[in-house]
Amino acid sequence: MPDEIDPRLEPIREKEGAALMPDRWKVDYLASMGELSRFYIELKENARLMGTRCPACGSVYFWPRSWCHDCYVDCEWVEMPPRGTITIFGRVDISLSEMRTEVPFYQGGVLLEGARYPVIAILKPADPAVLRAGLPVQAEFLPPEERTGRTRDFYFVPEE
Amino acid sequence: MNRVAVVGAGNTAFKARHMDKTFPRLAYEAVRDCLEDAGASPGDVESAVYGIYNDFFEHCAMPDHHVHYLLGLARRPAVRVTTGGATGGYAVRAAFAEVASGLHDVVLVVGVEKVADVSNVFEMVKSITFAADPFFEAHYHGSPAGSYGGAILWHMENYGTTEEDMARVVVKNKGNARNNPDAQSPMELTVEDVLASPTVIYPLKILDHCLNSEGAAAILLAGEEAAGRFARDPVWITGIGASTESGRQAERDDPGSSLFPAVRRSAVAAYAMAGIEDPRSAVKVAEVYDAFSGVEICLYEEFGLCGWGEGARFLREGSASMGGSNPVNPSGGLIGGEHAIGATGVYQVAEVARQVRGVAGARQVPGADIGIAQSMGGARGAYSVTVVLEG
Ligand SMILES: [Zn+2]
Repeated sequence: MPDEIDPRLEPIREKEGAALMPDRWKVDYLASMGELSRFYIELKENARLMGTRCPACGSVYFWPRSWCHDCYVDCEWVEMPPRGTITIFGRVDISLSEMRTEVPFYQGGVLLEGARYPVIAILKPADPAVLRAGLPVQAEFLPPEERTGRTRDFYFVPEE
Repeated sequence: MNRVAVVGAGNTAFKARHMDKTFPRLAYEAVRDCLEDAGASPGDVESAVYGIYNDFFEHCAMPDHHVHYLLGLARRPAVRVTTGGATGGYAVRAAFAEVASGLHDVVLVVGVEKVADVSNVFEMVKSITFAADPFFEAHYHGSPAGSYGGAILWHMENYGTTEEDMARVVVKNKGNARNNPDAQSPMELTVEDVLASPTVIYPLKILDHCLNSEGAAAILLAGEEAAGRFARDPVWITGIGASTESGRQAERDDPGSSLFPAVRRSAVAAYAMAGIEDPRSAVKVAEVYDAFSGVEICLYEEFGLCGWGEGARFLREGSASMGGSNPVNPSGGLIGGEHAIGATGVYQVAEVARQVRGVAGARQVPGADIGIAQSMGGARGAYSVTVVLEG
């Protein structure tokens, strides 16, 4: 909305005897993803899910982490299989987020094959009635022109 | 370690909107009433700890130092604590540590929040979701309700807890709030009323949610020697436990039966410090973090007031109600009383201190000699503090 007035230029309003001061905090970022950069680049460019593996204890992390919090050694990159199981799920009926995502939608925990922890992910089952803990799922990716390198680029559907 | 007492408590009324007051003014009114309750003056305060959760609510990145100065406390040390919903609880803990260690004898704890200065509910929720993991999970722009909904669903599937049970928590807490003149949302409801309110994230309906409140709470802590200087009989903090969990809600190592492992550990630590072996018989009153109705049912179990999976039965039998064996949230809790986030953990301690003193008015639990206050924050209770108070 380019023609929207910046609230910081608006006059005060009066309500119930109080002065209401329009204000805004707006901070734009260009945040370096640093040592995690490969995750976002592989996701956007190649529709690959990259995790990491601890060379000491063998834990595989997805979301990737660059060091193992148990062993305090650096992890190495591994490509994750785009398959896993649902650990927990929920249906969102009212989206309170800024994105005003279309509702209802489903989200849940998905444990990728070999991973130590589940991640919270978007679920897009054709038939929501099939959702249950333990359900095998596979990742699908947005088409290349729609991917932005964010975790919204992929979602899970029941395995065929 | 020095013994630590609550020697004064004060708070504002809690409202959806304090149109006529700024957040420093809310803090001042709570502190003024707290010092009056203690028979203390600002000059008695050696150090202050501020519980203010979210910079975005106060639209100020350092709200604490403006409040501290306006309270006339400049030149004395101050620190701000922010740990989500556990902000107030962790602020009490930080102040407790200052007194217990002997660093200071008299320390003020102030919790304040003015959430409705954010222009609408979408902006408010947005500012809360800025707490999500910024590298992966923030990309979903999720709602805080989602982080608790999964735990409640698990409880329903594994223990047979129902939406009616959750509605009973709402009926109880909104009903309790009718005895609390400072409560934001006293209501006489039926289970059917709750079930008929719109669903936000299944199984959570609008009425299952905690309130958004504006307000402030303050308590004055003193060491054993200093406590004698003040007007009130001291209420002793005999146990304080704190813990944390992963900030990513799905990443939890071996939580066992606990759905809120940080809560469980904070409770176990607080009970151990206070020498409480059987919480069912010892804990006469509890103010706990009912962020959502179903969460309170889980908390009965985490606090050992009943066994795993027995939370719904504990509630149905009336054990958590006024007149029951272990009344939970006589103030109305977060659902009926208030949830001015940074103030909540401080207010809970103030409330339990009043219960233990026997001055809680219409919401007094008879014979409440030992009580607990607990707050939690972050994704699905990633931070938790439990405080045990005794007369
Ligand atoms: Zn390792």
